[in-house]
Order: sequence, then C-alpha cells, then structure tokens
Amino acid sequence: MSELETMIVVDGAGDGPRQRYELEDVGFREVPKQWRKFYRHWRGPGDALAPNEVICPICKVVIRSTRELRPGDKVYCMPCMSRMVVVRGADGRLEADVIF
Amino acid sequence: MTPASAGDIELHDLRDQQFLDEVHSFQFWFDSVEGYLTDRPYGRDADVAVPVLEPELADRLVTTLCNYCLGETAALDGASSLVHDAPTRNAKIFLATQVADEARHLEVFRYRLGELGIADPEAEIERRGNQALVEFRGELLDMIAAGDWPAAVFAQNVVLETLEYTVFRFHADNADEVTRQMLRGVVADERRHSGFGENHLGRWLATEPSGRQRLQAVRQRLDPLVAAIFSGALDDIGFAPADRPPLARDYVEAIDRLGLTA
Amino acid sequence: MSDFLSQYSIQRWLEACPQGYLDGTVYGYLPGQSEPEELLADEGMREQAISTTVQLVAGERAALAASSGLVNCAPDDASKLFLATQTLDEARHVEIFCQRLYDLGVKKEDLESTVARYANPNLVKFAEVLLAKVAAGDFIAGVVGQNIVLEGMAFSVFEMMEAGARQLNPKFAHTLTGTIADERRHVGFGENRIGSLIKQHPEKREEIEKMQEEMAYYMLAAFNDVFSNSPPPAAPSDAPEAEWHGVNLTAATPAQMEELLATTVIGEFKTRLNRIGLEYRQPKVPA
Repeated sequence: MSELETMIVVDGAGDGPRQRYELEDVGFREVPKQWRKFYRHWRGPGDALAPNEVICPICKVVIRSTRELRPGDKVYCMPCMSRMVVVRGADGRLEADVIF
Repeated sequence: MTPASAGDIELHDLRDQQFLDEVHSFQFWFDSVEGYLTDRPYGRDADVAVPVLEPELADRLVTTLCNYCLGETAALDGASSLVHDAPTRNAKIFLATQVADEARHLEVFRYRLGELGIADPEAEIERRGNQALVEFRGELLDMIAAGDWPAAVFAQNVVLETLEYTVFRFHADNADEVTRQMLRGVVADERRHSGFGENHLGRWLATEPSGRQRLQAVRQRLDPLVAAIFSGALDDIGFAPADRPPLARDYVEAIDRLGLTA
Repeated sequence: MSDFLSQYSIQRWLEACPQGYLDGTVYGYLPGQSEPEELLADEGMREQAISTTVQLVAGERAALAASSGLVNCAPDDASKLFLATQTLDEARHVEIFCQRLYDLGVKKEDLESTVARYANPNLVKFAEVLLAKVAAGDFIAGVVGQNIVLEGMAFSVFEMMEAGARQLNPKFAHTLTGTIADERRHVGFGENRIGSLIKQHPEKREEIEKMQEEMAYYMLAAFNDVFSNSPPPAAPSDAPEAEWHGVNLTAATPAQMEELLATTVIGEFKTRLNRIGLEYRQPKVPA
C-alpha cells in the first residue's frame, strides 16, 4: 500500500471484503485538480503497485482507485482517455486490458 | 459535464459516456494543462538557467529540434485538417485542443532553437530535416485530402504520436535541464493524443470488419518511414547503434493492441 | 510581420486566457452563476433564449471549421500558431454555447435536432460562402471572411447581447465577456496579417469583395429574420435599462434593434476593410 494512503474501511462488496483507500493528491498534475488523486507517476524499477493500483498499458501512468482492485473491475485512464478492465496476468499480478 | 465533485465519487464508477464527455471537452483540456503549464513560460520553470552546451552537443540538439519542429508541423497540419472530418462533436472539440497543443510544441521548440543561436529556423529546418519525416507528412496529408479518416487518425494519432511520445520521453531522460523540462510538458500532451487515436480506432475496428485489413496496409506502407525516423532521431541525439534502446517497443505494442500485427 | 505576430503566440495566449480572464471559470461563467429563474419559468422567454443560443452555436461551428481549415494553408509558422489558438477558442465557444443550451433545458440527445430546428437558414448560407473559400485552400479570402466578416459580425452581436444581459442575466453576460475578449484577438489578427497580403496580391481584391458582399447579404437577411420575422418578446416593464451605442435596448423596438445592429456591424466592416485596402460592397437589400 502506498505510504500516502490510509486504509479506512473494509466493505463487503464482491467476492469478499475489499479494502478501501482514502486517496491523496501525490503530485500528478496532468489532469484537472479534482481527478489528480486517481493517478500517479510510475517511479521506476524500485516502485511497487498497491492493491488499488494498476498501470495503464497505453501511457504507463499508475491508475488508482478508492477500493482494492480485482479482475473484472473497470478503470479509466484520464491522461490518455482510455477505458480498461482489470485482469490477472500470467505472473499473478493485476494488469489492465484496454476496452475499445 | 463533470458528474459530481471527486470528493463524492469514485472516478472509475462513471458511465462510459460520462467519461468520454469529460475527457474530450475543452474544459478538461483547460483544467489539465493548468497543472503543468501555468507560470512556465515556453514550457519550463521561469527561473531555470539556460545551460551553455559544448558546440558539438549544441549542434546535435539543433538538428534534433529541427526534426521535432518538422514532426510538430506535420502534426499541426494534420490535426487541424482532421477537425473538419471528425465524426462527432466531441472528436471535433478534442482535435481542436490537439491543434493548440501541437502549435505550442512547435513554438517551444522554435524558441529553444533561438536560444541555441538559430536566427532563421525555417531555413535550418529545411537544411537539417529528416527526409523520412517529410515523406511521412506528405503521406498523412494525402490521406486527409482523400477523406480517409481512419487511415489519417492512425497515421497521425497512433503512429506519429507514439513516435513522438517515445522519442521525447527517452530524450528527456538524456537532455539538459531546459530541454528536459520542455519535453516533459510535451509528453504530458502526447498521452492525450495517442490515447485518443488508439481508443477511437479501437472502437471503430470493433464495428468495422474490413477496417483491420485497411489499416494493416497503411501500417505496412508507413513502417519503413517509422524505422527511418526512429533511427534518425537516435543518430541526432547521439547514440551509437550498439547502445540504442528499443524505442520501437511502444509502437509495436500499440499496433498489437489494435490487432494490426501482420 | 514577425514582430506583430509574436503578440499572437501560444505563450501569449496561455498567459491571456487560461491564466487570465478564463481562470476560475467553468464553461465561461463563474461557479455558482445560473440562468435566471424567471427565464427558465417562462416558456416563451426560454424558447427565445434557446433560439438565440442556437444561432451562436451555428456561427461558432462555422468559425471552428474555418479556423482549423486555414491552419494547413497558412503561409508561415506564426500564422499557423495563431490560427491554432483561434481553433481552440472557437471550439471553446461551441462548447460553452452548447452548455448554455443544456442549462436552458435542452437534453443532450436533442442537441442536434434543436440546432437543426432553430438555425437560421441565412446564417447557414453565410457560413457556406466562407467555408467554400476555406475548402479551396484560399488563405487570404478565408481570413478576410473569417476574421474580418464573421468575427466582425460576432464581435458586435456579442457586445450588444452582453450589454442587454449584464443586469438581467449575469451568467450569460460573463460567458459573452470571455468570447468578446477572444474575438478581439481574432479581428486584430485578421486586419494585421491580411493588410500586407492584400498589398502583395491586389489581383485578389475583386474576388474577396464579392465574397464580402455575398456574406453581408446573408447576414442582413439573418438579422431581418431574427428581429422582424420572429421578434423577441418585449422586455418586462421593470427591466433595468441597458444601453449600447447610445440606444436603450430595453425600450427599443425589434426594428430599431435590427437597424442598430446592422448599422454598427456594417460601419465596422467599412472601417476594417478600408484599413486593409478593400472597399466595402453594399449588398442588395434582402427581401
């Protein structure tokens, strides 16, 4: 989990409880202010994704959600205007597939 | 168009049309560029010092910037001409924001050329321009003149924008501070442009069975030019063939996502 | 030429618009502003406001098509850069006037049918004359048609509407103030850039003056339709006084308003065309 996030509640939606996250603006300035907390820059090889994060395959920005992500969730990448669905990759990690 | 304040909602719960209405609007563009262009004249911090470069490095940078200007002029001519043929109002408004983005890129690159002592950028661009880019511009404008909207969007917003996005990001990591800041702002714009192209064509291909074959033919025609442009860009930046990074990866991935791999 | 064009750069545009008079606005007005309740409650007034706004959408769509189409045939980079800012300005105008239609109760799915229903046919023909020049790649005629004739008309129409709305509808007046600020740049560019090109290409005069005559004809016909054939409802008796060019708009009859607007716009045309070396041609009076 990103150190700037605080887990605040656990809800019962989906297949089991999902962690919920209170997002903070962490300096991604490429979308309107109200949406900035939903994105961050990928910080390179030492970086890791939190359970509420996935990388946009088109523009490589990290997409963030207020809830833990699971396969089948839909997410939006505003910086490149793409819609995508969360899937589990071959290595077991969450990835995003673009929906056209 | 904004459905509610972000304090109240989860962005990813928006309906698809709400999302598209939001991101294709002038208001979205306006509020986005505010974040990285406000108080940054010509795309860099107002107080950043302009470095003095070694003559050989400066000369390489002039060639690189001349080719960036060539690419941006092609993108400006292409995007402005596409406004007319755009099939929806949202697409027209988005392309109008892209027109302004491309013009800004051309302006900041020309400004940087001025800082490097180039008094007549037009003549310098003519002298140092990569022939493959000139040919690419001709191909793009021919597609627009023929009214071939999908081919033109593919050439402009997928091929050209992915090329620029990749080269600029790579160059930014290896450039002086002023050039680096300028390129980072440009990259932020390119995300929107390439994203628009790929998503727009992806939706079109889903409903147009013969579209994939048409675009594959366009891609095959453009591929040699793409290879020559990548190669020229790396030569200009100063990379020996053995040290070259796999710049074409983003391009190949985009082609693959659209199902256009031959 | 390059010195004056540096005033029309993207950098200047960014400082003037997003970081200047548009800062803090949403769709051109201030957060919290709304259409007056009396307007929304009165079906006649609401329909009139929709009809008026549709003419603005139609005009701005033509301007968007023209300015974007002119980028590619501009003879120099500086003109391309300015026309790129104008393209974005016009797209913004289309968006904010469409937003006003939504604010007036038009449903999104009904936007196109509403525009088709209310767009004045003479305004559409006015736009077609201009867009034919743009489609032919005629930069000089296109800029005169767009930045002198169309923008000159829009400038005066917006000014008159802003004066009329200032007290009655501050939200709409604020929207118009931003568009007027944009139009100033557009007409300024038109005059400054084209003056020198007309001198270089005197052979273009006849064709351009003919285009101006044709556009002026359709403009006057559109004014006639709007004010005389379907006059707006009279302002309420307690409406605050609104003055423009020495005329009390609240008390003026539709015929007086038509004459005021036509006289002002044509007066402006004459002055502007004269400055760039062209003669204004009076069209025959529309039937």
